[in-house]
Amino acid sequence: MSGISELDQITRAANGDRAAQAALVNRNMPIIFRVAYRMLQDRAEAEDVTQETFLRAWKTLPTWQPKAKFSTWACTVALNLCRDRLRKKKPVLMDEVPERIDTALRPEQALASQQAIGRIESKIAALPERQREALSLCALEGLTNIEAAEAMDVSVRALESLLARARRALRAELNAELAGEN
Amino acid sequence: MTDLTMTPDRVLELIAMYGAETGAWPADERDAALALLSASPDQFTAALEQARALDQMLLQEALPEPSPALSEAILASAPKPAPVRKNAFGGVFGLIFPQGVRWPAGAALASLLMGLVGGYSYASTGVGYDQADAAYYASFGVDSGEDWLVSE
Repeated sequence: MSGISELDQITRAANGDRAAQAALVNRNMPIIFRVAYRMLQDRAEAEDVTQETFLRAWKTLPTWQPKAKFSTWACTVALNLCRDRLRKKKPVLMDEVPERIDTALRPEQALASQQAIGRIESKIAALPERQREALSLCALEGLTNIEAAEAMDVSVRALESLLARARRALRAELNAELAGEN
Repeated sequence: MTDLTMTPDRVLELIAMYGAETGAWPADERDAALALLSASPDQFTAALEQARALDQMLLQEALPEPSPALSEAILASAPKPAPVRKNAFGGVFGLIFPQGVRWPAGAALASLLMGLVGGYSYASTGVGYDQADAAYYASFGVDSGEDWLVSE
C-alpha cells in the first residue's frame, strides 16, 4: 500500500476494501493505543478508547475531508475520549488543576509505581495531563509540533510551553535520581 | 513559530522543548538553528548533553502491547463492501428497490407502471370511446355493443 496516498487509502477503506482498512489499522492503531495508555494507565481502558476511536473513524471516512492527517484526527478523538474518562474518574475542572507534578496516584497506580521505581513510564504518568499529552504526541510518537498542537487543540506556542515544562520536570526527576545514586 | 532571525536563546529553547535530536525540531527553524549550532557549538554543549540524557531515558519507555484480538475487533466493525450487482439493470433496480428486489412488491409495482403507461398511451391516441368500443366488440365477432345487447 506504500504507493497509495492516504486519501486513496481512506476512500478505499470507506468503500469496504479490507486491505486498505487493515493498512489503516496497522499503521495507526499502535499509536492510538500508546497515547491512550499513557493517559489512562490501564490497558483495558486504552483498548476501549482505541476501538471507540476506530468506530468513529469508520463512520467518518465516507465524508472524510483531508484537512488533517488521519493519525492527527485519530489522536484528537482518542485524547478527547481519554479526557472524558479521566474527568469521570476525577471530577475536578481541568482549568483548576495546577501545573505541577501530580504525586497523588490512585492505589493501583501507586502499587504499579512502587514496582516501577526508576522507570520512565511512572515518571511520565506522574506528569500533569496536558504535559503528558504534549510529550506523548511530540517526543514519543513523533508528531510534528503543528500536528501535535492541532491534535491537542492548542497553539504551537502553548504546546512548546507544555513540552518545555514536561521535559524540565522529567529532567529534575532524572537529576534527583542520579544524585541519589551518588 | 517561523522565525527568520534565529538566536542562541531560541536554539536553547528548541533543545529544552524538543530535545537534542535535531530531526525532532520544527522543520521551519531547523536549518537556521543548525547553522547557529555549528557556528558556536560550545555555547550549547551543556544543554545538549542534558537533553540527550533525557532523550535516552525516554527511549527506554516500555508499554504493554494491545491484545491481538483488538485489531480483529476493529476490523470486524469496519464498513463492508457494497454487494455486487449481477445484471446490467442493477443501477436502475438499485434506485427503485434500495432495500433489494422483493418479487411480490416488484410485481405489484410493475403492474401499476404497465397500467399507467397503457392508460396514458390509450388516452393520448385521441381515439374516441365509440371507435374503441367497436374494436372491442369486433374482437368478439359482433358489430357493436348494441348488437351484443340485442343478441342477449
